[in-house]
Amino acid sequence: MDTLKALAKLARRAREEQTPVFGVAELVRLRIESEGRQPVTLIPFGLFGGLSAAAASIILFLAVQFWQYMNSPLRELVAPLPEITLW
Amino acid sequence: MTNAPCQCCLADALLEDQERSGRIGFVENIDWLDVTASVKGDQDAYERLVRRYEKQITGLLWRFTRDAVQCEELVQQVFVEAYFSLKTYRGDAPLLHWLRRIATRTGYRFWREKAKEPQEMPLPDFEIMEQIEAVDEDRIDPAEAAGVLHNLLARLPAPDRLVLTLLYFDRCGTQEIAERMGWSRAKVKTQALRARRKMKEIAEREHLLERLGWTL
Repeated sequence: MDTLKALAKLARRAREEQTPVFGVAELVRLRIESEGRQPVTLIPFGLFGGLSAAAASIILFLAVQFWQYMNSPLRELVAPLPEITLW
Repeated sequence: MTNAPCQCCLADALLEDQERSGRIGFVENIDWLDVTASVKGDQDAYERLVRRYEKQITGLLWRFTRDAVQCEELVQQVFVEAYFSLKTYRGDAPLLHWLRRIATRTGYRFWREKAKEPQEMPLPDFEIMEQIEAVDEDRIDPAEAAGVLHNLLARLPAPDRLVLTLLYFDRCGTQEIAERMGWSRAKVKTQALRARRKMKEIAEREHLLERLGWTL
């Protein structure tokens, strides 16, 4: 017998299997009630976002300050040479 | 349970829309009444729907896991997910088709999640096949036959396994599998061809025919 035919034969028999019955209606109802009752709140996300924005602002402020005070290491190369009087 | 006014309006709109378009014939009236009542927040109506289709959904999910606890959990997941998606049900097809689509995707997701877990157990063994002594097809216990097939299918990757599970156990056509999974029909056909080839190899490697006494 062909293997695929044997598998089809097994499947035909397997379809007659009695599957269990659980009776989930009551449990589904409880889960729906508990999940439906959970408040969809954006407060934690808002708080986290606000704190992140505040931290980013501080870092940006400091970064700008440092940038303004920073000297370019290439400045010495392009600076005019000082005149030296030999005699 | 939240009785959001928008849901009530939606239910009325759905009903009016169905009456206008004449689609009411596609859905059992009794289902549609329970669906609209459920969308309005009537928990008893939804409980009636769950009781009506629980057996079919359990039968389908039993093909995804033969562990009773896991199967029950999956059945619950399907009905909870269906409840929260109920407003998207337009009544174009019978409610059972819609529930089966959710169940198939839930089962498939379950397999994929299981595949990610570290495999502590060895590959499914074939102890159950040792118990089969019958030569005649009719003498094989259906549960044993289902167990053997389940073990063989478990060796395939999830997409191959899904296609063959639906073909063998649920007698789905390629079109129906494609609709349930949102895949193209061509993809399902290719997948089925490849899966059958792999399944044949596995069955031959495991000497399925000899074990079943079907070599003659």
